[in-house]
Amino acid sequence: MSKLSETIARHGHEPLLDHVLITAAQLQTRIAEMGAQISKDYHGKDLLMISVLKGGVVFLTDLMRQVTIPHHIDFMAVTSYGVGVRSTRGHPRITLDLNTDVKGRHLLLVEDIIDSGHTIDHVLRLLAARNPATLKVAALLDKPSRREVYVPIAYLGFEIPNEFVFGYGLDLDEYCRNLPFIGTVKKEYQ
Amino acid sequence: MNLSNVLFSAEQIQARVAELGAQISRDYGDSNPLLVGILRGGVVFLSDLMRAISVPCELDFMSVSSYESGSRTSNRSPRILLDLREDIAGRHVLLIEDIVDSGYTFDHLLQLLATREPASLKVCALLNKASRREVHVPIDYLGFEIPDYFVCGYGIDADERFRNLPYIAWVR
Repeated sequence: MSKLSETIARHGHEPLLDHVLITAAQLQTRIAEMGAQISKDYHGKDLLMISVLKGGVVFLTDLMRQVTIPHHIDFMAVTSYGVGVRSTRGHPRITLDLNTDVKGRHLLLVEDIIDSGHTIDHVLRLLAARNPATLKVAALLDKPSRREVYVPIAYLGFEIPNEFVFGYGLDLDEYCRNLPFIGTVKKEYQ
Repeated sequence: MNLSNVLFSAEQIQARVAELGAQISRDYGDSNPLLVGILRGGVVFLSDLMRAISVPCELDFMSVSSYESGSRTSNRSPRILLDLREDIAGRHVLLIEDIVDSGYTFDHLLQLLATREPASLKVCALLNKASRREVHVPIDYLGFEIPDYFVCGYGIDADERFRNLPYIAWVR
């Protein structure tokens, strides 16, 4: 058990929270705006919103409730071969594929955070090969300073600095996904 | 397809989810429960419930499918499409589901997870259709009891539609 997870297991997230970067209210306001925009842009189209487990699920469930047009949702799970999902360069393995055929449909990949961009780049290439009508990305957080491969983001929640963030689906050693806000980790725990 | 009456408003659901979250937080304390969401219907409930839980917890997902259409009435074992990432031996596992109907799928899932020797294995369901039950499923945390109506919203679909409604409605 790392120092980080040991601390959280015993004392919760407070000891390692440096500061709240985005409050729950700020998240909900921005997501409502994104949902309104997506509803406008995809009006009359067969929209399929796709979430990659696990981190993106909280964002998806809030975003979909702000999308007022009929749409479908589906999920993918990918695992990288190496350790450290956020930074890996290896091709990810698909451990859960989509339940539905995407050919000719309008796909919106809903992601919690775009970091190096490698994993989402692979997922986008894979989806593009299945001939959707359109394929776009909605990301809650963007860390452009970490980007190693170009990712086109059509809908963005917040651009954030290169800080170690957690909460709202993002984990710290699998903990803290359940926090309703985005926080940053104190230096001594990084 | 028409939506009829609202069965539970968004406010009613959020208030009940907050109560469930508080109860789960009290019951589990610092035992670090693993919340397991079942795709796809259960994710909205899971997403709100986890944010109402104030104790450290972890999250994982499973996806299961029955061999034939009409999973809720099938008594055959479901196929696992996505298994847990986490090893649950010795862990306190809380299975989160949107609706318990005949109970077959859930019963099979519970039996399967029990073979992995978790420290405890409990069930939290948003909705319970007790009148439809064909096999006993112990529900430890329940949102609402409902009659045998076809419902949708709050993650629950009617032919893949209406999952995004923040409330639960009857389908006519």
